[in-house]
Amino acid sequence: MPLRLLVLASLALLACSGCGSGGHEAGAVVRVTERDFRISAPRHVRSGDLLLSVRNRGPDAHELIVVREGSRLPLRRDGSTVSEERLEPVIVGTLEPGQPGSSRKLRLHLAPGHYQLFCNMSGHYLGGMHTKLVVG
Amino acid sequence: MLRRRQAFRPFATRGRRTIAGILATFALFSTLTVTVSIWATSGSRHRASVLEVAARQRTLAERYVKDVLLARAGAQADPALTGRLLALSADALLNGGVAPAVNGDDDETLLPPASGVTVRAQLRQERRLVRDLTATGSAVLARRPATAVKLTADERLTARDPVERLRVLSALTSNVSLNAARTIGAEDDRNIGRLIVIEVVLGAIGLLTSLLLAFGLIAATRRQTAHFRSLVTSSTDLVLVFGDGGCRYASESVATMLGHPEDDLLGEGFAGFVHEDDRASVCAAYAHGEPHEIVFRVANEFHEWRHLEAHVTDLRADRQIRGIVLNARDVTERLRLEEELTHQAFHDGLTGLPNRALFRDRLDQSLARSKRSHEGLAVLLLDLDGFKQVNDSLGHDAGDQLLEEVARRFGEVTRPADTLARFGGDEFALLLEGANETQAVAAANRLVRNLSEPIRIAGHELGLGASVGIAMHAGGEAASEELIRHADLAMYAAKEAGRGRHEVFRYDMARELGELLGLEHELRLGLQRGEFSLHYQPEIALDTAAIVGVEALLRWHSPTRGSVPPAEFIPIAEATGLIVPLGEYVLHEACAQTARWLRNAALPEGFVTWTNLSGKQLSAGGVSALVREALEAAELPAGFLGLEVTETALVQEGHAGERARAELQELHELGVRIAVDDFGTGFSSLGQLRSFPVDMIKVDRSFVQGIEHDAKDAAITANLVSLAHALGLLAIAEGIESDGQLTSLRELGCDLAQGFLFARPAPPEEIDRLLAEGSARVSGGREAAA
Ligand SMILES: [Cu+2]
Repeated sequence: MPLRLLVLASLALLACSGCGSGGHEAGAVVRVTERDFRISAPRHVRSGDLLLSVRNRGPDAHELIVVREGSRLPLRRDGSTVSEERLEPVIVGTLEPGQPGSSRKLRLHLAPGHYQLFCNMSGHYLGGMHTKLVVG
Repeated sequence: MLRRRQAFRPFATRGRRTIAGILATFALFSTLTVTVSIWATSGSRHRASVLEVAARQRTLAERYVKDVLLARAGAQADPALTGRLLALSADALLNGGVAPAVNGDDDETLLPPASGVTVRAQLRQERRLVRDLTATGSAVLARRPATAVKLTADERLTARDPVERLRVLSALTSNVSLNAARTIGAEDDRNIGRLIVIEVVLGAIGLLTSLLLAFGLIAATRRQTAHFRSLVTSSTDLVLVFGDGGCRYASESVATMLGHPEDDLLGEGFAGFVHEDDRASVCAAYAHGEPHEIVFRVANEFHEWRHLEAHVTDLRADRQIRGIVLNARDVTERLRLEEELTHQAFHDGLTGLPNRALFRDRLDQSLARSKRSHEGLAVLLLDLDGFKQVNDSLGHDAGDQLLEEVARRFGEVTRPADTLARFGGDEFALLLEGANETQAVAAANRLVRNLSEPIRIAGHELGLGASVGIAMHAGGEAASEELIRHADLAMYAAKEAGRGRHEVFRYDMARELGELLGLEHELRLGLQRGEFSLHYQPEIALDTAAIVGVEALLRWHSPTRGSVPPAEFIPIAEATGLIVPLGEYVLHEACAQTARWLRNAALPEGFVTWTNLSGKQLSAGGVSALVREALEAAELPAGFLGLEVTETALVQEGHAGERARAELQELHELGVRIAVDDFGTGFSSLGQLRSFPVDMIKVDRSFVQGIEHDAKDAAITANLVSLAHALGLLAIAEGIESDGQLTSLRELGCDLAQGFLFARPAPPEEIDRLLAEGSARVSGGREAAA
């Protein structure tokens, strides 16, 4: 447990240093780590071009959807997934499900505002796979 | 078949080992490939059941939530059972074992333990989620707060509503099950890809190994069969291999050579086909490998004897053969040809009577007997009167028919013990053993009388007479040539005395005869007065039609007799010894004329002037010195001169014969060319020809004349030409008169030719003109022939 915390802390630090030093530069790297069942990402990033480096640490497969929406997300009628249909106007980026151990990139241009990152595999959002991101 | 394989094994030990190696390689790699396939197929089958079970978890998880809700509402449901099935299946997926049967869905399935880090992590997560799901379900049923359930899969459920929590957990379980199944499927694809690569590699290695082994085998086989083939000099040879139990192998050529199926010859059967008289030597050859060369007779399918000449090689020590090898060639045709030529050499082709050579041989034998017994004998020479006129007016064919009839008539009144012979032309001879003069004269009268009855030829009634010369031998020592010469002289005397007469030789006859005929004297005078001259008949190369030489021919123009043909004065010259100075004249004149042509640069390269050398001149000795003297006097290089000698002169026995051969050898080494004249009429052994210094053989005109229409003459000429070529000699045909003869000779591959068709004998000035013209006139004749 202490080791995992340390890793997470260092990752967060790296992400922060990334946003601190090159937030305005094109393709500032934002490290995002997914695992059962949480998403770790910096809380704040600078607006502009961003490169999300998404790593899935498993064990299950995960996807990543970025929406410009600060409040609670609406659910579908099945009660286990977020309604992407209703969020359509605010979705700014998606990554299809990736296998455990995989690393993927997602290029975004984010204007200042409140965003959420979440995984919409059945039950994953409700199981805890979402995080907020403030772009300033 | 089995025996045959033992006799000759093209694939010996090493070859068989290699074949076994190839088969083993194929077997090994086939087994490996099949095993890998089976293993891969069974793995796939297992994986298919794993996929089914994993996919079923989703259904079970959803059913569990439904069952809990139904049970909580008081309906008939057994969520505990569904939960247990879920848990058992999750466990079986992870660690292997029996996945339970699900009612209305599936049977029990035996699963292998999961392999692969990712899959195992996912299945472990699934087991945790199933535990959380069932624990939550139990809490709901027990009306305990669902939030109190301790979660184990790192999920953070914010919802407090128990049904919602159940639904989320069920979704998470389904999800992870499906993902595990997907991972297994992807791994399966990877495995199949790897399997294909492995099988391709295995196949390639197997094929490569087999190819290497096969090439090795081919090389080894080639070496071994080359060894065997070295024994077989040509495909037409018959190869037989003998070992214990008789013949073990017979090459396929046996079918064409003897017509027997191979199987009949194998084993002890072979000896049965061999001629009784040859059986012992053949059996010795194939039992002991000795003698190394044998000739024996074998019956072919038509029960004819074929003569085989065989090399015997003892290869019992050879591992590949282990037997005695007979390498046999069919020499029947060659022997038959030799026999025929020998018969040809001793018999007259037209009448079938003995010829001069055989007559002389018989006479020699009789004289040898007479020397011991002191019994007398008689030699009769007969010359037909008026034959030349028949020949000239009715043609060759009529003349030949007449000669045949004459031979038959003579035969009627001759005892079997006596030898009747034809010497050529219209000259016959009779040898009477143990006869005295009275008996000889009686025989002469009988012969002439039997001829007096007219002969019907070509619609003409011909009355013929004969002049007979008789030479008596009273017993004791005598030379056959001398006796014949005496009979010859007596015959001339008889002829001079009138037709149908006979004369017995007396020693003073030679002188009398010479005076009687006046010929000897005139010959001597003619020599002194320069009445003799040489004419030259061109010799033509058949392939280029170029003149490559001339034959020098003696001409006598007598002021009293006119032009005298050589046939009339040569016998007198021989009988009187004048032939020696005449021969000297011919040599000197021919050399001088050739030297003149040479100085005028008229001669093509390789040109030869041929002169005839009589047997008498040869046996008199000194020919070598005479020829060298003539060459020196004319300053002519030796290569431009050729000497034509008769077969009989060349094969003469005794001291004189040996000296003659030595002198010819000496001249030949000097560069003088030697040709054998009238070839095919008198040789006792063809093999002798090999040891003489000879460059060219002359095919007698009597064969050339019949070459177009007489199959026998054509065959003999063909044989003579091929014999000449086999001995490395040139062949020249004389007496060519028609285009048909030329075409036939060309087909036979004859090298040179001379005859009226190309050019008649001509004085030197005419030859000058011909040489200057080159081959123009001759090639004109050639076109006409073509
Ligand atoms: Cu997820």
